[in-house]
Amino acid sequence: MPEPGAGTVAASGPDQPARPGHLGRPDRPGHLDRPPAAGEIAARRGSGRLILSSFGRSRLAKTGVGIVVLVALFCFLGPLFYHTNQVTVRLGLKDLPPGGAHPVGTDDLGYDVLGRLMVGGQSSLELGLAVSVASTVIGTLYGAIAGLVGGFIDAAMMRLVDTFLAIPGLVLLLILVNIFTPNLAIIIILLSLPSWLGVSRLVRGEVLTLRTREFVQAATMMGGTRRRIVLRHLVPNAVGVIIVNATFTVADAILTLSALSFLGLGLPPPASDWGTMLTNGLNDLYDGYWWLVYPPAIILIITVVAFNMIGDAIRDSLDVRLQRP
Amino acid sequence: MRITRLFAATAAATALVVTAAACGNSSSGASKGHAQKGGTATLAWPATPNFIFPLPPATNTDGYNANLQNPMWPLLVYQGDGGKSIVNTRESLFSSIDYTNGDKTVTIHLKPWNWSDGQPVTSRDFLFTYNLLKAAKSDWYLYVKGLFPDDVTSVSTPDAHTAVLTLNHSYNPNFYTDDVLSTVPLLPQHAWDKTSASGAVGNYDQTPSGATQVLTFLRKEGGQMSTFTTNPMWKVVDGPWVLSSFTSGGAYSYVPNKHYSGPDKPHLSKIINDYFTTDTAELNALRAGGSLTIGSLPLNDIKQEAELKADGYSLATQPVPGVAEIIPNFYSAAAGPVLRQLYIRQALEDLINRSQIASQVYAGFSDNGAGPVPTNAFPNWASPLEKSGGPYPYSPTAAIALLKAHGWKVTPSGTSTCQSAGSGPSDCGAGIVAGQPLNLQLAYSSGSASMDQQEAAIQSSEAQAGVKINLKSEPFNTLVSTVGTCNASSHPASTCSWQLVDFGYDPYSGLYPAGAGFFDTGGYNNQGGYNSPVMNQLIQATEYGSSTQAFFTYEDYAARQLPWLWLPDQAFINVYKSNLHGYAPLNPFSGGLDPENWYFTS
Amino acid sequence: MTGYLARRVGQAIVVVIGVMILTFVMIHMVPGSAARAALGVRASPSRIALFNQTYGLNKPLYEQFFAYAGQAVHGNFGVSFTLQEPVSTLIGQRLPRDLVLLGLSTVLALVIALPLGIYQAVQRGGLSDNTLTGVSFTLYSMPDFFFALLLIAVFSVQLHVLPPEAPQATSVAGILADPRALVLPVLTLALVSVAGFSRYMRSSAIDVLAQDYIRVARAKGLPERLVLIRHLLRNSILPIVTILGLSFPGIVAGAVIAEEVFNYPGMGLLFYSAATSHDFPILLGSTLIVGVATVVGTLAADIAYAVLDPRVRYA
Repeated sequence: MPEPGAGTVAASGPDQPARPGHLGRPDRPGHLDRPPAAGEIAARRGSGRLILSSFGRSRLAKTGVGIVVLVALFCFLGPLFYHTNQVTVRLGLKDLPPGGAHPVGTDDLGYDVLGRLMVGGQSSLELGLAVSVASTVIGTLYGAIAGLVGGFIDAAMMRLVDTFLAIPGLVLLLILVNIFTPNLAIIIILLSLPSWLGVSRLVRGEVLTLRTREFVQAATMMGGTRRRIVLRHLVPNAVGVIIVNATFTVADAILTLSALSFLGLGLPPPASDWGTMLTNGLNDLYDGYWWLVYPPAIILIITVVAFNMIGDAIRDSLDVRLQRP
Repeated sequence: MRITRLFAATAAATALVVTAAACGNSSSGASKGHAQKGGTATLAWPATPNFIFPLPPATNTDGYNANLQNPMWPLLVYQGDGGKSIVNTRESLFSSIDYTNGDKTVTIHLKPWNWSDGQPVTSRDFLFTYNLLKAAKSDWYLYVKGLFPDDVTSVSTPDAHTAVLTLNHSYNPNFYTDDVLSTVPLLPQHAWDKTSASGAVGNYDQTPSGATQVLTFLRKEGGQMSTFTTNPMWKVVDGPWVLSSFTSGGAYSYVPNKHYSGPDKPHLSKIINDYFTTDTAELNALRAGGSLTIGSLPLNDIKQEAELKADGYSLATQPVPGVAEIIPNFYSAAAGPVLRQLYIRQALEDLINRSQIASQVYAGFSDNGAGPVPTNAFPNWASPLEKSGGPYPYSPTAAIALLKAHGWKVTPSGTSTCQSAGSGPSDCGAGIVAGQPLNLQLAYSSGSASMDQQEAAIQSSEAQAGVKINLKSEPFNTLVSTVGTCNASSHPASTCSWQLVDFGYDPYSGLYPAGAGFFDTGGYNNQGGYNSPVMNQLIQATEYGSSTQAFFTYEDYAARQLPWLWLPDQAFINVYKSNLHGYAPLNPFSGGLDPENWYFTS
Repeated sequence: MTGYLARRVGQAIVVVIGVMILTFVMIHMVPGSAARAALGVRASPSRIALFNQTYGLNKPLYEQFFAYAGQAVHGNFGVSFTLQEPVSTLIGQRLPRDLVLLGLSTVLALVIALPLGIYQAVQRGGLSDNTLTGVSFTLYSMPDFFFALLLIAVFSVQLHVLPPEAPQATSVAGILADPRALVLPVLTLALVSVAGFSRYMRSSAIDVLAQDYIRVARAKGLPERLVLIRHLLRNSILPIVTILGLSFPGIVAGAVIAEEVFNYPGMGLLFYSAATSHDFPILLGSTLIVGVATVVGTLAADIAYAVLDPRVRYA
């Protein structure tokens, strides 16, 4: 394998491949994990303030953050103002078109669709964020440990990651979903399982690169403890990579849950999420019940787009060099 | 069509066979004069067959094999006549079946039909089938302990078209003809009685070891999918159709058997069976208006009736001859003590708004689910009690009163808890501890929007009396693998931790909706381990005796005792090209599959 | 280079063995009984016992594993519990179907995405770049089952111009002989990929554009068309090569939704139905094949990368 830390681009070259997307999306661009061009690594070490200000200037970023904030307000504060019963099934009220007491109509169980978009959105957002946090924390620790310890332990740890990566995410999920009874918490754990692998490779690669950089070597020579080096130097420097990946993970997790719902392996009722709503709505695609299809589809897509935009914008800001063409 | 969607993996298809029938129905017979000769009908199926020999081993329970086999090798007793739930004597292979000697001697008179190679269909062929099944012992996918061939003491063949069975017990002729003889095909002894492909045909089946060898050979050949259309053995048929193609992708087709002896020869020149992975894919094909002649319509899509009619299709419905139910597990470690209490099952049943589910979820295409006999599919066998709606009409107040009377603290929309533990008349009952919550898990088969709606509605209405139902939907096969058959002596944790399960429905094996196998102790479908000596006796009375009153007694007892919780039994809705005739009304016992009746008009 | 190769192959073998162990352990953790799934609800205890004995499911787990591994090494993956056919036959029937569909859609995606990405990079920040970025974000963020069903609703049900099913033929030639039926499934898979690939190509091309050699080439007065083709395309295509090598195994499993919507039984549905019915031989066999493919794909991508990019040096 390319010798890590040789100070060349090889360090983050082939050993750090893009994670093929975990579900039906094999060609997800590895956004961050593309082999960087020469000189880029140095440029990444731009000052935090420069990154922040460039992020703030980015229209992509502003739009993305704006959408996420609006959607979150809608889902979490909406129910405080718009009261609906999302527990009792009322078959007498099923499939009502928009209007009157139900501005977006009702679904096949008589639930108010607008209220359900809020409740379902809570599940979708919670899931996305939780998966992102869980996989980031686990992946970061795992990757950092492997990178710092090195040697045989590193090799063993990475072979374990390789093994999991060699089983496509969907395959892994299809088996795992059968082992556990799905609820939101279980699905969060299951979706995190294939997601942390990519993070751990990214972080390890980052650590290997950084380990050879002058400031870390200087810190080591000056007698810094390993723990201190990790906390004071490596983490702040790798944090950009991690945040970008975490943002994309939110988007991916929401999409993956919707695919699981489509395969009949999503959240059980009366819980709901946008993917489940969309899947149910698609049963009525030809019945003219557009309010069961397009509202969940649009809010789902917009939210996923927003997270992808944020991720892209952060990545762009990290590439400070590109700010001055 | 997708007749066995909810029950795909079982032997369900016995009730859904295609048999050598012609137009048994007067209305379609009347318009026969306009029949156009030729034409191809394309049908949609949700699963694929994999075995052509009509006596699959017990390890092969692919229900779709019956649909492949029966057009070529029809069963002795043809069930259903158009929309009527009766034996179709005109189209069956027998001309009469007589019960004598106190219903212990059965004399089967065969019609003088021929195999497709010109040889006559004789009583020797019946004996051949019997010998093979006897040699197989229990290794036959339709084997029920104690019934055919166990119950046959001897078979004699006084002449070429008469077979006489001596039984070890007197059976109700209705039951024996409708549910037992209706599972037996006739096989061409003159072509299949051999032990290797190159070997000569002999009388090997007459010794037990010879019969075993023949059966082993036929079963080996019967699973070779690549030779289904080339093996000369499978060309010898007595049904109206013969297989013309079979692909590994699951599509297969028939052409008419030119030497078919039955009264009505096929009009169409080809029947194509296509495989669809999902209801959605099939519905898309129907709506795209292209290839399909016949498909099924998920009940949820009944709203598209108008569009489908505009696309040139018509709708036909058939009641399902089965029981729709939630099975309680009396031996679940967690929920068994609760579910063993009759008053709890009554309360659960009281809380299911079946008539609303029937009208809103099933759009009126179901009965109301009042007991073990579906009132639409078996109007003759449904008791007055069932027809009047059953013993437990929807009533949350009755449910709450029942729970309170037995020492529960009822918390509507929450979880009720047991206050008065003990086994007295006003206590919760044996095995239920004080403070125990009324919390149950209901697993059901995923993939159907109507099922999702039904279970969500049940979950919601049970909550009115503080019965907390946790739903778990799983693909049918996963459900089957986790729901074991549990009873007092065997309830391993791995397959008996389930509490309530809804598979969709359980089909009756024939025209006589007997409770054997469902509610008798040790019955093959008695997964929950219901065990009642009274019930066993009442069921036996319906098999051995022949009074309608005895049947109603059994039926009402079962309806009241709730070995299962009754649910609306939905109908199947099939969609067919409007210029296809002879298709409706559907025969529920052949799944509406009598393609020899079908013809196009221009 | 030889040392590097040897090491990578060694790692690959470790990973394949790991995949086998992991899959084996996981599928045996799934609650329920394989015998019940195969034999149906009405299976009697004696039949279940017979089944477990026939397939050795009553033996200790490690014995089952070694028995399986021993057979697998000789290319024998066993017989499916539910379909009663050899796993190798089943995979042999299903895999080519996926390869056709995914091969076509990948080629189509590349043909669209590469020029698109370069165009966007050159136009960076302009109106057309922003519009295309918006479009590809939206496509990328769309659940693929929704996208596929929309295509069917429009082109098959409303307009009646294209069939809603992928070709039903069993042979590769038969599938290719039905190009109309291929349009919607290929389009579904390709458009999602286009979004990803073009995004990728765009950022890679932007990086290359900032390189000195592009400035030098332009300063030398090389025509812009030649600059784009000779320098930009060739240099920015590298990462796509890596991605392609890595995508292969993912696509084998990733097609399950397209297979389901377009009624095209392939590896994905084979695996899906096996997973829901405890069909251990299929689960093990297909995971193993996908695992080997991943490892080989990674290896191939690394080697391709090394050959294409002289800057990567192997110590």
